Amino acid sequence: MELQSSGGPSAAGRQGEAASVLRTEGLTIRFGGLTALNNVNFEIGRGEIRAIIGPNGAGKSTFFNCLTGVLRPTSGRILFNGEDITGLPPNEISKKGIARSYQITNILPNATTLENVRIAAQSRRHGWSLFRHYTAFGDIMAKAEAVLNSVGLSPKADELACNLSHGEQRNLEIGIALATEPQLLCLDEPTAGMSTAETHDTMELIRGIAKDLTILIVEHDMKVVMELAHRITVLHYGEILAEGTPEEIQSNPRVLEVYLKT
Amino acid sequence: MTDKRHSILFWSGFAIVMALLFVSPYVLPPFWQRFLTEVLIWGLLAMSSDLLIGYTGMVSFGHSAFFGLGMYGAAAALLMFTPSLVLALAFGLIGAAVVSAFVAYFSTRLRDIYFAITTLIFSQIFYVIIFTWTDVTGGENGLNFPRPRLGIPGIWSEPFTATTLHWFVLVVVAGSYLILRRITQSPFGMVLQSIRENEPRTRAIGYPVERYKIMAVMLSGLFAGLAGVLYALQNRFAAPDFVFFLISGEAVIFNVMGGIGTLVGPILGAGTFLLLRELLGRIFGENFPYLIPLGFIFIAIIIFMPQGLLGFARRWLNR
Ligand SMILES: Nc1ncnc2c1ncn2[C@@H]1O[C@H](COP(=O)(O)OP(=O)(O)OP(=O)(O)O)[C@@H](O)[C@H]1O
Ligand SMILES: [Mg+2]
Repeated sequence: MELQSSGGPSAAGRQGEAASVLRTEGLTIRFGGLTALNNVNFEIGRGEIRAIIGPNGAGKSTFFNCLTGVLRPTSGRILFNGEDITGLPPNEISKKGIARSYQITNILPNATTLENVRIAAQSRRHGWSLFRHYTAFGDIMAKAEAVLNSVGLSPKADELACNLSHGEQRNLEIGIALATEPQLLCLDEPTAGMSTAETHDTMELIRGIAKDLTILIVEHDMKVVMELAHRITVLHYGEILAEGTPEEIQSNPRVLEVYLKT
Repeated sequence: MTDKRHSILFWSGFAIVMALLFVSPYVLPPFWQRFLTEVLIWGLLAMSSDLLIGYTGMVSFGHSAFFGLGMYGAAAALLMFTPSLVLALAFGLIGAAVVSAFVAYFSTRLRDIYFAITTLIFSQIFYVIIFTWTDVTGGENGLNFPRPRLGIPGIWSEPFTATTLHWFVLVVVAGSYLILRRITQSPFGMVLQSIRENEPRTRAIGYPVERYKIMAVMLSGLFAGLAGVLYALQNRFAAPDFVFFLISGEAVIFNVMGGIGTLVGPILGAGTFLLLRELLGRIFGENFPYLIPLGFIFIAIIIFMPQGLLGFARRWLNR
């Protein structure tokens, strides 16, 4: 299995290392007595699709919350393109180029599908424009329509988001993240609650958008993970238990012991 | 297609209402004429708070401070200089802008009820300052001042009459409505509505939510201050009662009665509320506790027309 490390020289300027988009160093977060992440040293290369797996409560969503500024780590650092982004608020992290989707659908329920995506596309420019009608900004409208098309929701553009099916809302969730033009897309169980057919379509969608992005995906469906990911990181009780290609992970005895055995 | 039809409908409706309000001085007896002018002024106050309540999802009880500072700002200009309409407007708006910037900066860090309470506390602080600083504000007695002339400096001017004052108020309120309507449909306005719908998500897609809220409170405060200036022009006095939080409460009531998030609804709500109060006073006498029946009507509206009078009328018309 060949990994792309063709991102060119990264801003990090660290000679001799693969161009990493994101690194964490000793990332630790505690909630009272509970250590949800413990000394996580993580690295992902440009263009990679990385899956994070682990049992319930392993700290996967918490890891995303740290990366996107929702939670401030107790200690450790997060470097994005070599720049320390630890402790920045979510809006600034979004501006740097990290977007995410949520495990529990998190959209604007009373806005149309198009508006959900349009408002995300607009976050990069024109947000402080007060006196022109929002539809007058052709660049934003075009971007929003292109994103809707790429997540297969164009026919539902004028539907209220709360009236979409569960599967459509999950894809809209990805669309909103995509519309912010990220370099790194973090997907938290994008296929949660989807039927087999819907899961298949969403996997194809992710494979399609992965061409220009780095993707970090939390996923419970092992079949999906094994097919999609270049590499897999296994979290267990907030620690990295193992990391490697799907083949390596499938045959790793420690992983089998805690996770894959059924 | 439907957009175009919608827009034709909107502008025809707007033209008809403007025409009716324009000719009203020729038709209405002086008392009701004055009453209508005042409804427009309170409507502007209500509309300004709708930008926060209806579009951003923040309930402000600080609007009496913005309204009052507009009023006292105008009073200062009219008492210190040769009375001038432009100066009254400028001083009133500056007063409201300074106060709303101050309130916005501190209160937008908080959400929901904490925001509402913070704005209420700020408005009460300004009330106490104005009430006790008698040398400057006239304290409890307030300030009386002359009315400026209507006109454009250096070009033309004439004294206000009840009719030209009404027209002036009408132009300012209608212009404010069109500006506020455009703001709510601008990219900025869409961000406000996104904050109302889902604040954490709005932040996550890259918006500095606090800065947007500060801007919303300041804009809202500016229009509330404008209403205060108009009220000062109409009544030629400023009094601390208008800075008291009850005025903010009334603005919220106008919104809920008329329909939040519609801009027009709050004007309708103000008109309905003030008309009912006036009629109850006339029927049962001056000392009648009008708030009791008004309270019941208010509760009935909330229960039976949760989207307010305008929302109800719309749905009824669409049947
Ligand atoms: N904000 C918080 N405050 C307190 N505890 C938290 C918080 N967020 C997460 N936790 C705890 O941290 C641990 C890790 O939770 P997390 O949601 O990251 O797990 P997960 O790996 O995403 O699990 P799942 O597969 O169920 O989504 C859990 O024990 C959880 O209860
Ligand atoms: Mg999770």
